[in-house]
Amino acid sequence: MAGLTRQGGGPADGTGEATDDSAEFRALLDRLSDKATEDYYNPFTTFDWPETIPTDEFWMSPELLTVHGTDLMDALTPRQLLDLSRWESVHFYSLNVHGIRDLLIEVMRRVHTPGFRAPSEFFHHFIGEENDHMWFFATFCLTYADKIYPDKKLRLPEPPRDPAVENFLVFVRILVFEQIVDHYNVRLAGDERLHPTIRHINRLHHQDESRHIAFGRRLVELLWQRLCAAEPDEAVRRATGDYVGRYLTTMMESFYSPAVYRDAGIPDGFAVRKRLLAHPARHTAHAQVLRKTTDFLTRIGVLDAAR
Amino acid sequence: MDSALEPITDWLRERNPEAGDIPLDLDLVESRMVDSLGFMEFILLLEDLVGRELPLSDLNVDHFRTLRAIQDNFLSSASSSRRPS
Repeated sequence: MAGLTRQGGGPADGTGEATDDSAEFRALLDRLSDKATEDYYNPFTTFDWPETIPTDEFWMSPELLTVHGTDLMDALTPRQLLDLSRWESVHFYSLNVHGIRDLLIEVMRRVHTPGFRAPSEFFHHFIGEENDHMWFFATFCLTYADKIYPDKKLRLPEPPRDPAVENFLVFVRILVFEQIVDHYNVRLAGDERLHPTIRHINRLHHQDESRHIAFGRRLVELLWQRLCAAEPDEAVRRATGDYVGRYLTTMMESFYSPAVYRDAGIPDGFAVRKRLLAHPARHTAHAQVLRKTTDFLTRIGVLDAAR
Repeated sequence: MDSALEPITDWLRERNPEAGDIPLDLDLVESRMVDSLGFMEFILLLEDLVGRELPLSDLNVDHFRTLRAIQDNFLSSASSSRRPS
């Protein structure tokens, strides 16, 4: 069983079938689609893009910087801290650009395919909104920094997975990415020290992502239940949970960029990254960013499966 | 083995404690010593060793598949002229 379909609408190839959740899931999809229509905005006319954003202000809240809580933060000059804030802000939006590209490719592969009949209507809202987000994040980077930090991910060849596992992993990765980003969006949108354009971008992104996250949590739970029902081998479930645990760690580590440290005038970026990643204050910070995600994945049994 | 490869082999052993000696021609991808999740850390280490950013859009998995490929493509004295740009 690969995906999700409307009750009674299961495709003939057996890749999807009705579940007790179908009516409830359908109601959620209808509600979220209605809300997406109600909240719809034109990103190309919504934002004021000032010519410049002052570089003597914070662009990223200092509490969200990768050095926060460490001795390195205390050792930075005020100028270096502002520069780090600016470049970590640009890096954060660059991560969003690359993450959105990856998730759009995966959702595009599934929209209106067998097993995804029920969520396909909402997928159209999702794809449209993610395209808008990618545009405004990229516009921010290119307008105010003249660059997007390059993607450091490379999809290496892997043994083929069961479709139930692959579909679960695609949507759990999307959910993890969205929940991590949302943690930052909420705080950046509410930080009065930041430029109005920065706050606006983060506020609108949070507004749209709230719907995507509500959708993603239900979809991931259903896909996990189906994976467990279809996959009697506990080792496969444990390996899937292990992968998700590593993915959470990798996502947090992706915030620590040697290129950003170099741009901020901090030498030995790779060594700095390594030192920060080993710092207990950063482990605590990561746990805070991931708390909603780990609570959810533990509640539905994904992370338990990894233990 | 070229000493330039030592940080790479140390990194691989740290993540794969059971690895022991890593032959120059072992397929690091097929043997799962490096996978997609571990790749970002791996490329940042390699960039640190070569002293510049490596444009992934110009590279493919075969550039990193074995220690010998990594040595030839990025770490040998002749590699700077042959290195993918």
